Amino acid sequence: MAVREIEPIDLALDRLELMAESGYYNPYTMFDWPEAIEPDKPWMSESLTTLAGTPMWDELTREQQLALTRYEAINFFSLNIHGIRELLSEVVMRIHDRTYAGVSEFLHHFIGEENEHMWFFAQFCLRYGGKLYPAQPSLRADSVEHLSAVARELIVFARILIFEEIVDHYNAHMATDMGLPVIAREINRVHHQDESRHVAFGRMIFVNLLEQVAKRDPDEVPLVAEYLESYLTYSIGTLYNPAAYRDAGIPDALALRRRALEHPARLAAHEQILKRTRKFLSKVGVGRELVKR
Amino acid sequence: MNDQMRAVRDFILQRNSTMDTLSDDLDLIDSRAINSLAFVEFIFLLEELTGESIDPEDLDLDDFRTLTAIEARFFTREAVR
Ligand SMILES: [Fe+2]
Ligand SMILES: [Fe+2]
Repeated sequence: MAVREIEPIDLALDRLELMAESGYYNPYTMFDWPEAIEPDKPWMSESLTTLAGTPMWDELTREQQLALTRYEAINFFSLNIHGIRELLSEVVMRIHDRTYAGVSEFLHHFIGEENEHMWFFAQFCLRYGGKLYPAQPSLRADSVEHLSAVARELIVFARILIFEEIVDHYNAHMATDMGLPVIAREINRVHHQDESRHVAFGRMIFVNLLEQVAKRDPDEVPLVAEYLESYLTYSIGTLYNPAAYRDAGIPDALALRRRALEHPARLAAHEQILKRTRKFLSKVGVGRELVKR
Repeated sequence: MNDQMRAVRDFILQRNSTMDTLSDDLDLIDSRAINSLAFVEFIFLLEELTGESIDPEDLDLDDFRTLTAIEARFFTREAVR
C-alpha cells in the first residue's frame, strides 16, 4: 500500500498489548456448544430487534417474534463476519508497512483475535441457523475517491472503529441478558471483552490520522464528517435485513423495513446505538455539526 | 415518466441536494450520484418497485448506470421475466 503521504504512526499501546497477552484464551475450547437451543428463548434481546418499540412488533404473533430474534441474531452475527472480513483484509495489507511499523505488535493481536471472533460467530450461525446471510452488494468504485490519500486512510480505520462500536452496543447489552441462551450470552460477553481493546486502539489511531488530515488541509475535515455521517446511516440500515423478516414469516418485508427505519421509536433507538460514537466524533472535531445540508 | 421512474429519480435527488437536474444519461455510478453507501438502499428500492428480487451476488453494474438503463432493465415490458 503506497502510503508515503502518511506519517509513521506511533501510539502508546503497551497497556493494550499487555491486556491482550494476559487475556488470551483458546476460542476453540472455550465455549460449550449445546446440541440445540431451547425453543422458547430469544437468540437476541427483544429490545434490540429492529422492530422493538413499534406497533409492528406488537402485531407479530409470539412465534414470529421469537423467529425474528433468531434471524436477526443470525443477521447480526453475519454482519460481524462480513465486517471482520473487510477489516482484516485492510489491516493485513498494512501490517509491517513502514507507516504502521510502530503499531505492528498490536496489529498482530488484532488480526489474531478477529479471526477467532469470525470463527465463533460463524459457528453459531451454522450450527443453529444453518446459514449466514450473504454480504450486501457494494460498488468497486467507492464513495471516497474525492478524498486525499491520508483522508482515505483515516476512513479505513474510521469504518473499523464505527463498526466495532455499533457491534459493541449490542454485545454489551446481550452479555448480561439473562433471558438469552447461555451460548448466545457468552459469545456476546467474550466479544465485548476483546472489543474494548480494539475500540481503544481504534480511537487512538483515528485521532492520529485525523490530525494528519487537518494538518494537510483543514478544509477536508468537513468532507470526512460528511462521509462518516453517511457511513453511520448506512450501518444502521444493514441491521434491517428484509431477508430476516421473510425468514421470520413476516409479509411485505421491504415495505416493513421502510416503515421501521423511519418510525420515531426506531429513530430514538438509532440515536442510542450511535450515541457514544457521535459524542466521540464531535469531541475530536469531526462530528455531524460540520456537515452542511 | 411513470410513477416508478419518478420514485427512482426522487431517491437520487433526495440524496444529492446540490444536484438540480438529473439527465437520463448521467452515469450515476461514476458521478457518485449513487455511491457505495447508498447502493444497498437503491437495490431495495428497485426490488420493492418491481416486486422482483435482485441477487446481490449476481449484479450487472451496467443495469444501474443510467436512468435509461434502469428503465430498460427494470421498468419496460420486456424487462419482466
Ligand atoms: Fe471482533
Ligand atoms: Fe474488533
